[in-house]
Amino acid sequence: MFGIQSIQQLLRAIAFFCAAASLLIMVWYLVRRPHLHRTTKVILLFGLGLLPGIVSLTGNISGFAYTMTRPFCGSCHVMGPYLRDAEDPKSTSLAAIHSRSHKFGEDSCYHCHADYQMFGAMTTKMNGMRHLYHYITEYANTGPDGEGGPKIHLYKPFKNDTCMQCHSTQAKMYLETHGDQVDAIRKGDVSCIDCHSDVHPLALSRRAAAKEAK
Amino acid sequence: MNRAMIKRIVLIAVVGTTLSMVLMLSSLVYPHPLLLVVAMSAGQGIALLSLALYLLAVALDLQTGGGRYYEGTGPVDEPAASTAEP
Repeated sequence: MFGIQSIQQLLRAIAFFCAAASLLIMVWYLVRRPHLHRTTKVILLFGLGLLPGIVSLTGNISGFAYTMTRPFCGSCHVMGPYLRDAEDPKSTSLAAIHSRSHKFGEDSCYHCHADYQMFGAMTTKMNGMRHLYHYITEYANTGPDGEGGPKIHLYKPFKNDTCMQCHSTQAKMYLETHGDQVDAIRKGDVSCIDCHSDVHPLALSRRAAAKEAK
Repeated sequence: MNRAMIKRIVLIAVVGTTLSMVLMLSSLVYPHPLLLVVAMSAGQGIALLSLALYLLAVALDLQTGGGRYYEGTGPVDEPAASTAEP
């Protein structure tokens, strides 16, 4: 119905409708400038209180959900190579393989880069604010795909816990293929991406170029 | 607090809400990171402040008998100049 296929789209539609209705009431007041009758007060209470409240609530939820999606991550131009690789159906990088999995889908960036703990979503979004700060101060005027800007790097080493959300270290096949390194992997002494390093090939090649430039 | 001041407070609240709704609408239509952050922080802050101002204006209006004045159901503390006896 109305082309709405998900909860997120429904919330966006509700936010959009309520914001438009609130704006209509505001424009009506600004044009007509009525006296503060009881009816005017009630109408303004809707336009200034109830409708903006609904917009805030639904807009926050749908906005937060959108920040988890790949198009959002790719909306900063420095993420171009990462986005293109993840969406390339022929790519064999880990990012692309995971993005093709229906369990990750559109949220593939968030699934692998979000903090995995009680307040993980909060700390991840705080890091997002940090991304925005660095983007504005360091990358905003860089060339296509962020060329000419500082090299892109993780704030902290990639945690094995993120991989272990799906790849159980208890599985028989895992134990067979990882042999005597399992304990070191579980403790975090050995990183998964030390061996499975083909995560973002384009990004890695750019990182190497940045090192050479230094 | 005279009625002109109360109407001015309501006007500020309406302009503030208009601004915040435009910000929130634009973040829904064009969800760029910067716009989303501005809408979710400044936009909602302005909307909340506007609502507080409006409630203040309504409280002041009721305190000065504004409701009775506009409905014409009773005396008011501060009659409008145009309706006052010469």
